[in-house]
Amino acid sequence: MNNVKKTVLLGLFVSQALILSLIESWISIPTPVPGVKLGLANIITVIAIIFFGFREAVSVVIVRCVLSSIFGGGGWMLFLFSVTGGVLSAVVMSVLFKSGNNKFSITGISIAGAISHNIGQILIAALLMKDLAVAVVLPVLLISGCIMGFFVGLVSSFLENALRKTKIFE
Amino acid sequence: MNLLNDAAGKEYVSLGEDTLYVLDKAKQYSEISKGAFDVTIGPLVKSWGVFTDNPKVPSKTEIDDLLNLVNYKDINIDFENSKAMLAKQGQIVDLGGIAKGFAADEAVEIYKKHGVKSAMISLGGNILTLGAKPDGRPWNVGIRNPRGKDSSYIGIVSVKDKAVVSSGDYERFFKKDGVRYHHILDPKTGYPANTGLIGTTIISDYSIDADALSTTVFVLGLEEGMKLIESLEGVEAVFITEDKEIYVTDGLKDTFVFRDESKEFEYVEKR
Amino acid sequence: MLKKDDLIIFGFVIILIAASFIGVSLYKSSGANTNKIAVIIKDNEEIKRIDIDAVSEPMEIAVSGDYSNIILVEKGRIRFKDAGCPDRVCVNTGWLTEKGDMAVCLPNRTMIKIEGQSDNVDIVTY
Repeated sequence: MNNVKKTVLLGLFVSQALILSLIESWISIPTPVPGVKLGLANIITVIAIIFFGFREAVSVVIVRCVLSSIFGGGGWMLFLFSVTGGVLSAVVMSVLFKSGNNKFSITGISIAGAISHNIGQILIAALLMKDLAVAVVLPVLLISGCIMGFFVGLVSSFLENALRKTKIFE
Repeated sequence: MNLLNDAAGKEYVSLGEDTLYVLDKAKQYSEISKGAFDVTIGPLVKSWGVFTDNPKVPSKTEIDDLLNLVNYKDINIDFENSKAMLAKQGQIVDLGGIAKGFAADEAVEIYKKHGVKSAMISLGGNILTLGAKPDGRPWNVGIRNPRGKDSSYIGIVSVKDKAVVSSGDYERFFKKDGVRYHHILDPKTGYPANTGLIGTTIISDYSIDADALSTTVFVLGLEEGMKLIESLEGVEAVFITEDKEIYVTDGLKDTFVFRDESKEFEYVEKR
Repeated sequence: MLKKDDLIIFGFVIILIAASFIGVSLYKSSGANTNKIAVIIKDNEEIKRIDIDAVSEPMEIAVSGDYSNIILVEKGRIRFKDAGCPDRVCVNTGWLTEKGDMAVCLPNRTMIKIEGQSDNVDIVTY
């Protein structure tokens, strides 16, 4: 694949991830704790890891977080919050995907990614607030991460098969 | 009180019974402390602006000039006619170190009149307890950690029917050119008291006494302050030095509980 | 859809969930019988501490900063009532009632948490 095509595709990934996080922000999930999200943008991260690799996936995550902070507001704090979760999730999923030699399913990897995402966010929030008390939401976020990660994994698998048929990434 | 200050050096002013009482008390404590507590500190307080949003460090000459106006002996009280007068023009009486205590005492008097058996009042950190707690146990009053957060404390005194009042350099202070200036001025020097104490707490029957004495001993320092309190009947004290040592008067040794979560302070039981 | 080795991931996740549940329930149960003190923290500094069971009249506390927060306190509970931040996670958290409950407004670096008073002190003189 040449560089121009790659750039175009990654640009598309960023815009799709942005739209997915926008849609996600319209859907509020009634839960006892704050911060439970669908993690739809993670679909794009999974796909980017499958078809490109770790560096490209992390780049997409970072650019997506920068842009959503600029468009959505929230300043440095929200940027750090989302980028830490996103990058940690991309790192964990890449490691599992690459070193796992196809031993793990996309769904399993996606669950691990969702959980890492939530753990990363709690860690950065605890760091920013200098208070570990924010971790009281961890159990709920871990469980919701499992559920959301499972569905994101399913969608990603379907998407992977569909995209392979298009031969767009060859 | 403004009337009295405005008429300083000019004429006697009629004062209400309460004001006269507070003024007399303040004068008494000025005498007991030999001027370490002085209600005529007003001109200096005004000059430093300690209770304003823009405190400043006055010049040395300004302080020296104003120090001439600080002398509790210039308060003349005429009890027969309920009048008082300040001798020199420009003198200002500042009851900040005592008025809150009086207010708390008055509040408890009202409670008593209405048959209240158990109450606790906190006026900006000045604690006054009436009776014991409803369950009969004494009130546990924490003594603020002068270098910690608002709610942190270095020890506990258990009291019934007592006032507990603290003074310290943490209450109001500002920084100028790297120097920290707190709000308790030494009437002798005109500068914030610098006697090695960072916090003092007085336990007594009346809040007005505790209020005046906590400031007084803060200015006097550990040695002299301790001597003064031991000479007074029914008054106990806790001293916290800048070396983070805690001293209490003899009468308090049994009931004071040293409990320092910060683990920075040291309780010195024997002197 | 799933593979055998996914069990490794699931096992790891289950251990994490169990550990976090134990940790949080230990944290919440320590000092459970003490007064419930709501602590409001802004930029890592405690700005207010309220015994929420002792609140008789509802009151609102405004916190300014890059964004604004309005905190509402009623007897036995406290919440972010309104916030100027874009994500409003703090407001969606709803009421805090139990020890260990907390709500965070990350954009404004404001946090409310409920602590148990750590000792048997009735009040602190200052």
